[in-house]
Amino acid sequence: MMDVFEEVKKALCKANPGLDESKVVSGALLKDDLDIDSLDLVEVAMTLEDVFSLTLPEDEMENIATVGDIVSVIEARLKVKSG
Amino acid sequence: MVTGYGAVTPLGLNVEDTWRNLVAGVSGVGYISLFDATDFKVKIAAEVRGFDPADYLDATTARRNDRFAQFALVAGMQAIDAAGLKVDDTNRYNIGVLIGSGVGGLDALAEQLDVLKTRGPTRVSPFLVPMMIADSASSQVSIKMGIRGPNFGLISACATGTDALGVAYKMIKWGEIKAMVAGGADGAVTPVGFAGFTQSGALSRNNEPQKASRPFDMERDGFVVGEGGAVLVLESLDYARYRDANIIAEVIGYGATSDAFHITQPMESGEAAAKAIELALAGVERNEVDYINAHGTSTPLNDASETKAIKKAFGDMAYKIPISSAKSMLGHMMGAAGAIEAIVCCKVINEGVIPPTVNLEHPDPECDLDYVPNVARDGDVRIAISNSFGFGGHNSVIAIGRYDGQ
Repeated sequence: MMDVFEEVKKALCKANPGLDESKVVSGALLKDDLDIDSLDLVEVAMTLEDVFSLTLPEDEMENIATVGDIVSVIEARLKVKSG
Repeated sequence: MVTGYGAVTPLGLNVEDTWRNLVAGVSGVGYISLFDATDFKVKIAAEVRGFDPADYLDATTARRNDRFAQFALVAGMQAIDAAGLKVDDTNRYNIGVLIGSGVGGLDALAEQLDVLKTRGPTRVSPFLVPMMIADSASSQVSIKMGIRGPNFGLISACATGTDALGVAYKMIKWGEIKAMVAGGADGAVTPVGFAGFTQSGALSRNNEPQKASRPFDMERDGFVVGEGGAVLVLESLDYARYRDANIIAEVIGYGATSDAFHITQPMESGEAAAKAIELALAGVERNEVDYINAHGTSTPLNDASETKAIKKAFGDMAYKIPISSAKSMLGHMMGAAGAIEAIVCCKVINEGVIPPTVNLEHPDPECDLDYVPNVARDGDVRIAISNSFGFGGHNSVIAIGRYDGQ
């Protein structure tokens, strides 16, 4: 099974190549801490949808503020998928 | 007043290198390296070589900008720096940006069309629209420099750069704004853009790169696609004096007309183009003009009709004014052409040297003026004009004069 957090981190670093990886922690704020804006987040979501072969609903992505939020949305979706 | 300029061109990544090569008669045309042109009838272009956006921009800014906007950003930063223009809370609403582009982010659009077709609409990049829109050249400079006056684009095909400068000049003249960062940028050396230009019949089929762009020569057979960005800082005399800026030259007039004739061909008589020259020179005696930077694309039609337009506007004086085409060396930088050519006029005025029209080996009886063939020439130039014409019948002319400090 893929490590969700690691994949999220990879997707974030891909969207913002200048990102310092050590800053990518669960509680990090996407916009304020990682300089990931709404357009980057769409790209991050597309990457993760491909990696996990799932669809991330737009309404759930809208409420995302931290790295941990992305991880939670994906884990919930994976659970639905496997269940 | 022109107080600064910057450029990224096929002859250099700044104005000084570009100018040195222009005076030396160096051609910036070569075989296409930006894409595989094996299946293309035309395999040459004037590409900007050795340009790495990472040398100037952070990774995120570089990645989020199409090549044309990267050119605009770098040329804009150079121009603002050269003008010594500090943008801060005292002036950020008094400065505007107007950097035009003929085609905008063609590369970004083409790439995402492929994604749309192969992977579907949910995989198209959220950055497609901001990268594709032609006004992103101006917007990105505004964002990067913190400029909060008006920022917008302007499109008039190959006359874009000249029209952007002309409109910026008028905005300053009318007292609407103190300073404008204006010019043009294009990066159209992409497969789809290239295929389109080739099919329109406008490109040279000469596959000897350095010989292909030969304005006013009997054997000319089309233009060579170029790319790059060129930006000038224009400001009112009052503002330039207030901040003790170094004044390079002065924009003294701008004229624009339309052929109302054909979407790709110029009006053969050059009548409307002559009118644009006359408008740009309102209040200037014809014998005061010392240099003409021609549109000089190297297409059979343009060079003949431009020659007629110059004769119509200047009468017998036409034979006495040195004329040269920077496109003989830079290729056709599209939306950036008019802006780099205005910079060339500033350099000619200040350096007293007129760059040549290269590859002018077989004079065409229809083009019988003094085109400064092949070798640069000394010249005391006080007033210069730059002609730019474009698909759609645009005729735009800007007049630039020496600043005497009165």
